[in-house]
Amino acid sequence: MEFRPILLSIKHNKAIAMLVIIQVAITLTVLSGSLLMTTSTLKEWNLPSGIPHDNIISAVPQFYDLDVDVRQSVVDDLAGIKALPGVINASPVTQRPFDAQGIQKVYLDATNEAQEYDTNIFTGDANFHEVLQLSLIEGRLFRENEIVTGKKDELNATPPIVMVSEDMAKALFPDGDALGKTIWLAKGASPVEIIGIYSNFMNGERLNYFGQSYRTVLQPLVTWQNREDPSYLIRVEDGMAEGLLETVRNQLYQIDGRYINQVEVLTRTQKRMYDGRGSHAIMLLVISIILLLITAFGMAGLVSFLVTQRQKQIGTRRALGATKWDVVRYFMLENGILTSIGILTGLVLSIVFAFVLTEDSGVNILDMSYIFATAFFILLINQLAVYFPAKKAANVEPAIVTRAA
Amino acid sequence: MFAYNAKLAFKSLNDRPSLTILMVAAIAIGLGLFMTTLTLAHQAGKIPIPHISQQIHLVQLDNREVTADDAENFNEMVDLTYQDTNNLLNLNMAGAEQTLVWNSYGILNVEEQNIQPLRSSIVATNHAFFNMFEVPFLYGKAWDSDADQFAQAVIVLTKKSNDYLFGGTNSVGQQVRLNTQVLTVIGVLDDWFLARKFYDRSYYQAFPDQGLIPSNFAFDNNFPRNARFDCWSTTTNPRKFTNNYLTELKTSECAWITFWAKLPNNTKEDYQTQLGQYIDSQKLLGRFPRKNQYFLTNINEQLSIISSMGGRQQMLGVISYMFFAVCLINAVSILLAKFMRRTKEVSLRRALGAKKRTILQQHLIEVILIGVIGGLFGIAVTYLSLQAMLRVNLYASDYMRTAADLMPYHQMDWEMIMMAFSVSVGCTLLVGLYPIWRICNVSPASQLKAQ
Amino acid sequence: MLKMENVSKIYRTNLIETHALRKVDLHIGAGEFVSVTGPSGSGKTTFLNLAGLLETFEEGDFYLDGQNVKGLSDNQLSELRNEKIGFIFQSFNLLPELPLFDNVDVPLRYRGFNAKERKERIENALEIVGLSSRMQHLPTQLSGGQQQRVAIARAIAGQPKFLLADEPTGNLDSLMAQQVMELLEKINQQGTTIIMVTHDEQLARRAHRNIQIFDGQVSDLAKDQTDVLIQSE
Repeated sequence: MEFRPILLSIKHNKAIAMLVIIQVAITLTVLSGSLLMTTSTLKEWNLPSGIPHDNIISAVPQFYDLDVDVRQSVVDDLAGIKALPGVINASPVTQRPFDAQGIQKVYLDATNEAQEYDTNIFTGDANFHEVLQLSLIEGRLFRENEIVTGKKDELNATPPIVMVSEDMAKALFPDGDALGKTIWLAKGASPVEIIGIYSNFMNGERLNYFGQSYRTVLQPLVTWQNREDPSYLIRVEDGMAEGLLETVRNQLYQIDGRYINQVEVLTRTQKRMYDGRGSHAIMLLVISIILLLITAFGMAGLVSFLVTQRQKQIGTRRALGATKWDVVRYFMLENGILTSIGILTGLVLSIVFAFVLTEDSGVNILDMSYIFATAFFILLINQLAVYFPAKKAANVEPAIVTRAA
Repeated sequence: MFAYNAKLAFKSLNDRPSLTILMVAAIAIGLGLFMTTLTLAHQAGKIPIPHISQQIHLVQLDNREVTADDAENFNEMVDLTYQDTNNLLNLNMAGAEQTLVWNSYGILNVEEQNIQPLRSSIVATNHAFFNMFEVPFLYGKAWDSDADQFAQAVIVLTKKSNDYLFGGTNSVGQQVRLNTQVLTVIGVLDDWFLARKFYDRSYYQAFPDQGLIPSNFAFDNNFPRNARFDCWSTTTNPRKFTNNYLTELKTSECAWITFWAKLPNNTKEDYQTQLGQYIDSQKLLGRFPRKNQYFLTNINEQLSIISSMGGRQQMLGVISYMFFAVCLINAVSILLAKFMRRTKEVSLRRALGAKKRTILQQHLIEVILIGVIGGLFGIAVTYLSLQAMLRVNLYASDYMRTAADLMPYHQMDWEMIMMAFSVSVGCTLLVGLYPIWRICNVSPASQLKAQ
Repeated sequence: MLKMENVSKIYRTNLIETHALRKVDLHIGAGEFVSVTGPSGSGKTTFLNLAGLLETFEEGDFYLDGQNVKGLSDNQLSELRNEKIGFIFQSFNLLPELPLFDNVDVPLRYRGFNAKERKERIENALEIVGLSSRMQHLPTQLSGGQQQRVAIARAIAGQPKFLLADEPTGNLDSLMAQQVMELLEKINQQGTTIIMVTHDEQLARRAHRNIQIFDGQVSDLAKDQTDVLIQSE
């Protein structure tokens, strides 16, 4: 290969070579930085929900008249909703999939040193599993007479039984013998027995971020607080969810003294859960792509300019016996050398940048395979960017050499 | 000479226009992203009510236990208890206006059946709020001190909630219900843009409240208290105070009320003295076990402490700087290549008597032209990318915020436009220096012999 | 060695056809030193381009070293140029970025010689032109005559059968021109065929024979026709 003459020629055009190297180095840094950010942000992104979320409506009513009999209105609401054509089943809940608030803890014993496990505690009546179309993996479902109903701070006793999701069971009891075991939902609380294990469903953003998307505990409980009566999850026939939103809202407005805060298909709840980081990550990606395009076009422009400057030189080489491919190869090799030096510099910068980002965000995002992939990709793009103008340049008539200077 | 050089510069840009377009596009796109993050930061960093922001102080008293951690700034310090709020308001501190703020929420609804209830965040405060913060009124006026004292059922609506509930008409004297309580509208605010919602310490952008009511009325009717209760050993579950246990809360050492004092020039020291005296008097009652410590932090100081905590925005900032750098380098390498091709021509011009200064002028004009054109297009790109950011933010907030509310944070002002222009021209000149220097140092004879 | 039969070259634009060369018949034998003269625009350069395989032609046949070059591919032409022909240009056409050593190296690399052989040939060629002490200098550091001598070294390093010289002394003063001519004659005496385009009558007369081109027509004014025929057959 003709490294020596290329290196000599680079030495002759130091300034431009330096600029190309710096440009490649920074491009690699930005690109791999945003790629690392994006992949770490999008980790656990758009995981399967485990439920037919397109066919589930959630409604969140809110009482402002404290004199309303909530216990009765729950009965009335459920009866009214279930009577609507298209509705399959409904359950009163305090948390919704994709929207679990905060992180709760469960414990394996009652002592103060008990190991804690992060989870989201859901509540529902005996229809909960049917509304979310969960399948029973082990044990049994709740029975009607096991459902405890009441205002939250006036409950006589919390239910002594729970169900847990498959992932939760595995986390608590890795040996697979969760069924029948006792756990504690709070320090100092009464123990509860696991009577059933159901298939996984998405809890919400908080645990999703820590890769624990499917850890849930379900209590047989219908409960409410001042001004917040239970929300409802409503399973409807396939494809009817959007059309039923207004009907459900009107049904709930039949009881005065409250405000219907949110009636939406769980699809939208799911979208909201991922949007914040999803849109941010995609924005970074778009910026990266634009940057890559600019670098590629810049490189192509620079090369196409440099080759017109070297027309005479190309003609001379052609006259001295260079084939067209020799000429193309020369420019590609020249660019390859510069890009490689830029990439080596950029690798160092990228690693430093990734370290800084890791320190800032507290999440280790450094993954060399992504950086190498980006580097290789930049090399590829640059080679392509050079190939076309170089090919055009190789068409210079060798007879140019006999024309007067 | 200038005209001739300008003509040459134009001609050079016209020669191989695709390269000129490439240079200008690189600068414009790089500048666009750079200015987008700069504008977002600029708008987010704007100070609300700037003409009085340095007089408006957040008042915090350290009523915590001896064992509590020392606080370095207001952000680590607790707010005020109910008792201290009441005491300070009753003390009539000389030279100072004072107000309290806490957040509540409820459902605003009217008799009219067609208008569905409006879920509202409500500010509980006193009459001084409006005067202190120079709140603009569209209809009616603020309530007076009597309304505070007697806990009158009055409400000041914001323009938007008045539009929703009353179709934008003058609703003063009309009745609205907040949950089940009937209140009389006493005033309607005009548009009140706050770069940051400072008064409840949320510093939110584009999450306006819907109404303001007297704090005492809110207490009397036990409206929910949407606050963080910093209780010390006294209480195990402070969240219970949100809806209940008002009597206990009023006598507790739980700090939760945001308290503001407007201290015009030279009154701060007086106020500090009076605060010190107040703390001493309370110490006699067995309160304030720690060394006298209180924080008076004005809005500017608050924002500078808040904004020093980076995050994603900062990350985007770093990326946009590097992005711009790549674009500039891109442009300058093309520029350099272009200039270097001209060495022969320049050396001929020099031989024919052109002074170094003339050559310098010709190329300076060319570089400045590129900077100016790049700047113009860059401003257009900035505008488009700010619009895109607005859409992204709307999407990301699931349309809970409106485009109109977000608009002010995604807008270039003259300051930013001028900035874009000078950054474009300045940076292009800066990176153009080397190519210009190279071309100006071409010696008159060097290129004339064959080669 | 070089034989053209009925070769014509036509330049076409939208409006007109220009016959740059008409029906050229020409034989040049091995070891000859031929000068080509003619006024500006007569077709000298076209003749040179054709002879040097820098351009292709439409009609006729052209045998170089016994091989018909008509219809050869671009790559084959490149190879032939590299092996059989050495070029010397009026404006030298040295690569300004490369030191003398690497300038002479250019055609040898395309030839595919190994490093050792290239080095020997380069040093040898530069020795012949008397510039071996300045191998690492850049072309701009040399005088015009020296530059042309580098170009000659580059042309002979691959030991081609032909040297095509295009106004080799056109940019040089008479003293330097004299040196370059002596060099060319020395090379010719060692067996290399030289075709030299020039407008300088005096120089032309130093060649074995002179070919005149006038308005695209070639007239062969061989000093000794028989001599030529014997050599070429």
